[in-house]
Amino acid sequence: MTRRLDVIVDHSRCVGNAMCLATAPGVFAHNSDRQSEVVDPAGDTEEKILEAAVNCPTGAIRVEVAESGERLFPHGG
Amino acid sequence: MGARKPMPPTDLDDLFAPEVIADPYSYFAQLREADPVYWNERFQLWVITGYQEVVWLLRHHELFSSAIMKHSTSPPYPPIEPEDLPLFDEVREFRGDQLVEQDRPEHLHQRGVVHEYFTPTAMESWRPFVRDAVRELLDELEPLGRMDVLTEFAASLPVRVIAQMMDVPYEHRDHLRELADSILYMNRGEPWRLRPLTEGMRGIVEYAAPLVEERLECPGDDFISILAQGEKTGVFTRHQVLVNTGLLLFAGHETTMNLICNGLLALIRHPDQWDRLRADPTGMARLATEECLRYDPPVKSTQRIAAEDVELGGRTIRKGDRIRWIMAAANRDPSVFPDPERFDIGRQPNPHVSFGSGIHYCLGVALARMEGQEVFGALAERFPRFELATEEVEYQPSIQFRSLKSLPVTWKQGDR
Repeated sequence: MTRRLDVIVDHSRCVGNAMCLATAPGVFAHNSDRQSEVVDPAGDTEEKILEAAVNCPTGAIRVEVAESGERLFPHGG
Repeated sequence: MGARKPMPPTDLDDLFAPEVIADPYSYFAQLREADPVYWNERFQLWVITGYQEVVWLLRHHELFSSAIMKHSTSPPYPPIEPEDLPLFDEVREFRGDQLVEQDRPEHLHQRGVVHEYFTPTAMESWRPFVRDAVRELLDELEPLGRMDVLTEFAASLPVRVIAQMMDVPYEHRDHLRELADSILYMNRGEPWRLRPLTEGMRGIVEYAAPLVEERLECPGDDFISILAQGEKTGVFTRHQVLVNTGLLLFAGHETTMNLICNGLLALIRHPDQWDRLRADPTGMARLATEECLRYDPPVKSTQRIAAEDVELGGRTIRKGDRIRWIMAAANRDPSVFPDPERFDIGRQPNPHVSFGSGIHYCLGVALARMEGQEVFGALAERFPRFELATEEVEYQPSIQFRSLKSLPVTWKQGDR
């Protein structure tokens, strides 16, 4: 069974670069301010979600394991 | 109220007035007060100075095209010599094929190729290289007691970094610096500027062509290999690979130079803030860099063209209208930044738009930030105080870039 993730977008950092929408379109969508919002944290694979987080130019995406709260990205943060 | 000296009438349409080049901030504040979405009759373009309006515009890329070279028919300004007009076609062709001039869907595919190279995590691995380069340059300069920050320090650093990113030999640096210096004419006002500019453009294409061949054969993890890979997968044409190599050189060079020079000048002019940075260079470098970016940004403004009729700030912008959005003005919008004219290196939050916003948000953002942090941190670490060695600083007559012509400084030695 795949583990559940918490995916959080920090709106004080998000600039609407939209690369996360291209990488994990099942998870992220734009809100009316054209900032990224999580529509379904299980909408893509964990690999794709982490890729979106790592590639965010402003580091606005945080990913945690829902059950344990373990931080997957960013590391050491 | 006592009698006030009457202010001289300001011509709000004179974008290129010498006073505007010297101090863009007073002029753009006047524009923002008059109308944050201002129609400049003389130059036939919209000038956007309000923060909210700028962000809204940048995040609606489907309404505002970045393909200026493709869509704009206006002649170069300031004017060029008539016999140089054919050179302008060459500039159009070169710039029109660069990533910054693409709209979706092409932009997304092309950015997808190079995006990973510049992520914050990827750029963090470059920090030791940048730190060493800064140290080496300052080791050479420190005993002299003086430098022109622009030519002797700020222009040398980005060329070292870019040469390494291209993975070319150490000895090529001087040639790359020459090419980069020619491409800087993009931003100048001289009527003959297209000659050195096109020479630089041809030079970079000529320089990069064999490298691309080589990296197609044996790819590495350098920037040219990444672009060449994009050619293999059909995302880039060969011409696009070559002009985007030029884009790395141009975009990474001048902007970094301006960040270093404008930031250091602000720190010299605000000794209390310099002392604050000196008290904790490692701790303050990150926020100080952001404030330098906000207060006197490397790029003052950029363009868009309306892709359809659109309402902005109560005005109707018509399809095909030219637009200039002013990050230097948005960064001082009092509705977003408390006490915006104050240079405060601890400012937080600091949501400046010096890197833009939306899908064209600066690709090199993580590199620029890191270079700024390393430079301002190292300068504060090593130098007790700089003195400006000129009465008045001068800027290049550009509406787009905030580029000093030189920044001579001195310091006392041995009282570190």
